[in-house]
Amino acid sequence: MNNRKMGLSEPYPVINIALAGVIMLILIYSGIYSPDANSYPVACIHEKITGEECVSCGLSHSFSLILRGRIEEAYNWNSYGMRIFLFFAGQLIMRIFFTKIYINHPESGKQLIIYDIAGSSALFLAAFMPFLIYIFKFS
Amino acid sequence: MEESKKNSGQSLGIASLITAIITFVMAVIPCVGMLAIIPGIISIVLAAVGLSQAQRDDSPRGIIMAGLIIGVVATMISFSQFFVAGKFAKNLESDKWPEKIEDIVNDVQDNVIRDLEDANVNIKVEDGDDKVEINVGTGKSDRKKTLEELEGADTTKANVSISIGK
Repeated sequence: MNNRKMGLSEPYPVINIALAGVIMLILIYSGIYSPDANSYPVACIHEKITGEECVSCGLSHSFSLILRGRIEEAYNWNSYGMRIFLFFAGQLIMRIFFTKIYINHPESGKQLIIYDIAGSSALFLAAFMPFLIYIFKFS
Repeated sequence: MEESKKNSGQSLGIASLITAIITFVMAVIPCVGMLAIIPGIISIVLAAVGLSQAQRDDSPRGIIMAGLIIGVVATMISFSQFFVAGKFAKNLESDKWPEKIEDIVNDVQDNVIRDLEDANVNIKVEDGDDKVEINVGTGKSDRKKTLEELEGADTTKANVSISIGK
């Protein structure tokens, strides 16, 4: 019990819990807003400035549709929606899983953090590569 | 007292790192990338305050530095989105202007041709007492109307006779 308390007060579990909370908020946002009502509060700023759709347009729609199991429609809204969604879902699982391991096995702390950083960076690059290419193509 | 001194700036470092990670993810999404500059600046400020506290009390700076570095990189990516949007808009304008001008010219041309088809043209040439007047009326719309009436009429019962004579 004391070990668990000690673990939770350390930076790594605090960061993990906070990030898991943010991912949960993203999923709740996607769940609350209906893709049929099209009442998403966040509009694409890129589209407002340039007048053209960007590579991430329709991502909220796509997330909402994935949560509702309408995968084919989600692909139509944004073809990269599924990989971004899988990244967030994977990160949510990883945050919980790594926190649990860190608390139960404090001796593996540093190694665990290195694995986490490496794994998360690789996942991030795999998921967001089309967006990064899009940004660096124009900048 | 010693414990709290050892951890001074750590809470700010954690807050900075969390904000920086969120900023980083936001910055690479073109739709909200420009907005990420706000949390990016917040993360840098948090890290800077945390770093000064940690330096004063000689406490660990790993997390604070991580927050600062990720925050700076994320803010730079977010800032680059403004250039992306600017360049994109420039490309778009330069690509579409010739097309737009062509469309406008085509529209005007179509309108002029349509107007001329139904126009009655009067040409008057006067030279002293001599006067020449030419009236040309295509009456295309009238002919079109007549043709439509004929097409609409039941021609099966009509008696058609053709006579050819010299």
